[in-house]
Amino acid sequence: MEKTRDIPFAEGAAPFVRVGAGDIPGYVKMIDLFGALQAQTVSCLCRIVGLQVNGEVCAGFPSPAEEELRDVISFDEYLVAHPETSFLLSVTGDSMAGAGIMEKDLVIVERGREPKNGDIILAEVDGNWTMKYFRKKGKTVILEAANPKYPPIVPQTQMCIAGVITALVRKYHK
Amino acid sequence: MTDLIFSLHSWPRAIVHIDGDAFFTSCEEAIHPELKGKPLITGGERGIVACASYAAKKLGVKRGVPLHEARKICPGLTVLPSDYETYSLFSRRMFAIMRRFTPDVEEYSIDEAFSDITGMRRALRLTYEDIALKMKTDIERELGITVSVGLSITKVLAKVASKHQKPAGLTVIKGRDIARYLNDLPVEKIWGIGPATTNYLAKLGCRTALAFVQLPEKTVRQKFTKPGVEIWQELRGESVYPVVSEEKSTYASISKTKTFAPPTSDADYLFAQLARNVESACIKARRYALAPKKIVVFLKKQNFDSAGSEAALSRPCACPLEFSGVIRDLFNACYRPRELYRATGVILLDLVADSSIQYTLFDDPVHAEKIKDVYAVADELAEKFGKHAVHLGSSHFIETVGRGRRGPPTARERTTLEGETKRRHLGLPLIHVKT
Repeated sequence: MEKTRDIPFAEGAAPFVRVGAGDIPGYVKMIDLFGALQAQTVSCLCRIVGLQVNGEVCAGFPSPAEEELRDVISFDEYLVAHPETSFLLSVTGDSMAGAGIMEKDLVIVERGREPKNGDIILAEVDGNWTMKYFRKKGKTVILEAANPKYPPIVPQTQMCIAGVITALVRKYHK
Repeated sequence: MTDLIFSLHSWPRAIVHIDGDAFFTSCEEAIHPELKGKPLITGGERGIVACASYAAKKLGVKRGVPLHEARKICPGLTVLPSDYETYSLFSRRMFAIMRRFTPDVEEYSIDEAFSDITGMRRALRLTYEDIALKMKTDIERELGITVSVGLSITKVLAKVASKHQKPAGLTVIKGRDIARYLNDLPVEKIWGIGPATTNYLAKLGCRTALAFVQLPEKTVRQKFTKPGVEIWQELRGESVYPVVSEEKSTYASISKTKTFAPPTSDADYLFAQLARNVESACIKARRYALAPKKIVVFLKKQNFDSAGSEAALSRPCACPLEFSGVIRDLFNACYRPRELYRATGVILLDLVADSSIQYTLFDDPVHAEKIKDVYAVADELAEKFGKHAVHLGSSHFIETVGRGRRGPPTARERTTLEGETKRRHLGLPLIHVKT
């Protein structure tokens, strides 16, 4: 118990609970903290001033317990935050090459998401489909390519936003 | 007449029915935005219209019409092969969006679901109407398809409501307003009432749903079987059918049909297709640990007539190897060499749990158990190498001549992304636009 850390209570009589940190996993701390909280709400007679937690000493490296891996996410979750509204699009053309989006890249399009200034969007403008930067100045919307070959597009008659590009995937090998 | 009151309480239960509008073509329009609003049909591979878009419907193209007729009605018609992979992805998402509001969602078919939202008003801080509306707008915004929504106090009424205004409608039938909606509804439009009951009801003088629900209970119980009485109760606002949210874990029957082209009278090919139907149906039966006692096979002729024959098995069995001889006999019983056939099919009936099978005196249990083991391995191999990786010799013929598809492959089948295989695709729908 070399290091101790003060954890302030949200409300209640005991101002601090001291919990040892460093050599014990986080969940042990949490359990003890809960215990302390419960004890406190049950009775004000038992005031907790300090909490001693002594971890076990293991020889050698501990085996990776399930708890250690509980916070990993799959690539699916990483790339597709909202799987119910996401679609794939295989990129054609080089208008977003400056943004690193190349022909045949795979992008994830999220439908129904409100585009923010600077987002890359997929939209139908005056009957043509395009993927561009979404720039909004006041009430005017400009769709900007990331390639000097293509001039910015200002929608004339209508624009329909199909979705916002949320991720880019490129595979080099099977 | 329409101020008749069947239920005093507005919301004794709150059941939503959501029905995709021209679902297959709507999915196609969502992934092929350039087709939006165009006359469009799916079912190209079957040679008939499986689903017609609203633009095509407006021009008179109906479901089930042969392709050449549909093209005649509408010369600029876009014909697409059915892309069930994409439709299933959309279907799953539609149900997932509904489950955000309540876990009580019953997947009724690929494009239809019921959901029981009774008691969810406080939890969601929304009225029942607003919950139904939010389900609808969320699905429409996130999937890019439209759905018709019905909200009422029983399943049958919810279905009446969702049909009331199509496409993209939202209809609410409160307990007090039932009579108003049943007044103009012909009985044959009610869910669960078929042509036979419609005729019978006509004899009793009931042509509208309102006339039907006004029949006295005694008469209904005397003259109708259980399903008829239940529909009568549901229409009166008495909820009989619960929303069943569990996944289907058992079946009363399993059927598999395959339409192919061109129509043929080739006995070997037809029998190979039939054997494949049997194999597919048995795979499904084994997946649910079921075995049929009875088997029906049928052949559909080019003129849409069909011929069938059936057999009872001496013991329930879901291993085609054991009864391929029976299938051969059934096939011979309905096959006529001079006819042209366009489809084969099989129905497995009287399914029982696979675990409680009693061998008969004349069975060879050792042999039967061996075959069962073989199929356990075959199922494992299918998991790894694709459906029908191991199959009967009699269905092998279709592997050599192709599995009998008509027309071009779907847009998804034509696209293989880096790292995908022909059989396994990424689980997100692919949008097809050129940017």
